[in-house]
Amino acid sequence: MRFNEKELVCLSRQPSEMAAELGMRGPKKGDVVKRRLVKLVVNFLFYFRTDEEEPIGALLLEQCRVEREDSQTFSIAFLDEAERKYLFECDSEEQCKEWIDSIIKASYEFMRKNLIFYRMEIHRLTGKDPLEQYGISDETRFQVNSGSHFMARDTSSL
Amino acid sequence: MKLHEKILTHFLSCTSPVDKEGYLYKKKERNATYHRRWFVLKANLLFYQERPADRHLLGVIVLEGCTVQMLDSDGFFPFALQFGSGLKTYRFAAGDAQTQGRWVKALFLASHCYLSNLVRDLGRQYEEAKQQQDSTNSCSSFKSLSSPTNSLLVPALLPLSLVREGRSFSASDALPPPSMPTKMAAKKSPKKWPRRNAHVTPLNGPAPLYGEWPLVGSDPLVEFSKLHDFYGQEVQKAREEWLRSRQTEREQREKALIDLG
Repeated sequence: MRFNEKELVCLSRQPSEMAAELGMRGPKKGDVVKRRLVKLVVNFLFYFRTDEEEPIGALLLEQCRVEREDSQTFSIAFLDEAERKYLFECDSEEQCKEWIDSIIKASYEFMRKNLIFYRMEIHRLTGKDPLEQYGISDETRFQVNSGSHFMARDTSSL
Repeated sequence: MKLHEKILTHFLSCTSPVDKEGYLYKKKERNATYHRRWFVLKANLLFYQERPADRHLLGVIVLEGCTVQMLDSDGFFPFALQFGSGLKTYRFAAGDAQTQGRWVKALFLASHCYLSNLVRDLGRQYEEAKQQQDSTNSCSSFKSLSSPTNSLLVPALLPLSLVREGRSFSASDALPPPSMPTKMAAKKSPKKWPRRNAHVTPLNGPAPLYGEWPLVGSDPLVEFSKLHDFYGQEVQKAREEWLRSRQTEREQREKALIDLG
């Protein structure tokens, strides 16, 4: 599958509050812990060899399960495969908590739910839809029931 | 760099909302021809394949750090996604003006960056709205908060009819970095503020980051109703405290009355 690699590498170089050297272990049997520079940018987790500029890889942080494994270790499981987890070893309990929290909140879906909550609450408290002033109240992506698949499909255009 | 594709394809096929889908023409970089592709926009990712039913994905475009450009051309409805200098420009064309306009708007709003700024802004509006409600409920005499914050999100999209001269839009342009309205807190008398719990979200700050949400790690959907209840409890407590203080005042007043009976 093609993707905009150069642009994604560029994204990985953006400043991030969450960037640290952690012990990282892949999900496959036989994978060992390796020191990696792990960096959270938008909803991607990039990981680099400690002295390199280009990341080794990028993990999309959507539909994943982040869990505490022990006091200083957390895991991320993708694809509903609970046993196939990426493990991350932190230097302290606090750092571990911070990473778990940041990863959860970085997800686009988490933010979308936040948005819908605020939108509904502001409307309830003030009687106004806060998205109207930005001209985006009708956008599908900000609807309360945006899980519905009865969306307009633009097949008519072509 | 390895992009873990399975994670992306899983995300595409899961039940989270599809933000837009439809046919568009995509320009091939090498031979400058346009090919019809089926596009699916989900969160900040634009997937494309030959047909909707195809299992094989041709590609994905991560929509961060790009501007969306509406281009003008007779009888042809092009637009582009432009990443920075030295980086790619993806070119597309729609079948009609309406489709073109809708896609340009949808792509503009798609970035994580845009959503993050929007959430921060709404979070602030929410806190202000709650404050206003609290102050109304406790019948305090201090002035209501200053006029509504100027929207930090400049309406980024003009009515689409005005937008046809190769204007480009970037989420980072439209959203000036939110400033912390810390001056607002100073206007209120500290005595009249309910005592703040260290764990409660600061009222005049941006959306709380790590460590400030009262509930972390639980299911987001459950989290919201819990959050709602949590804040509701605080309002309830403030109300009760005020009622109690009124009651005490009343009792004291009655005690002071001389009994002439």
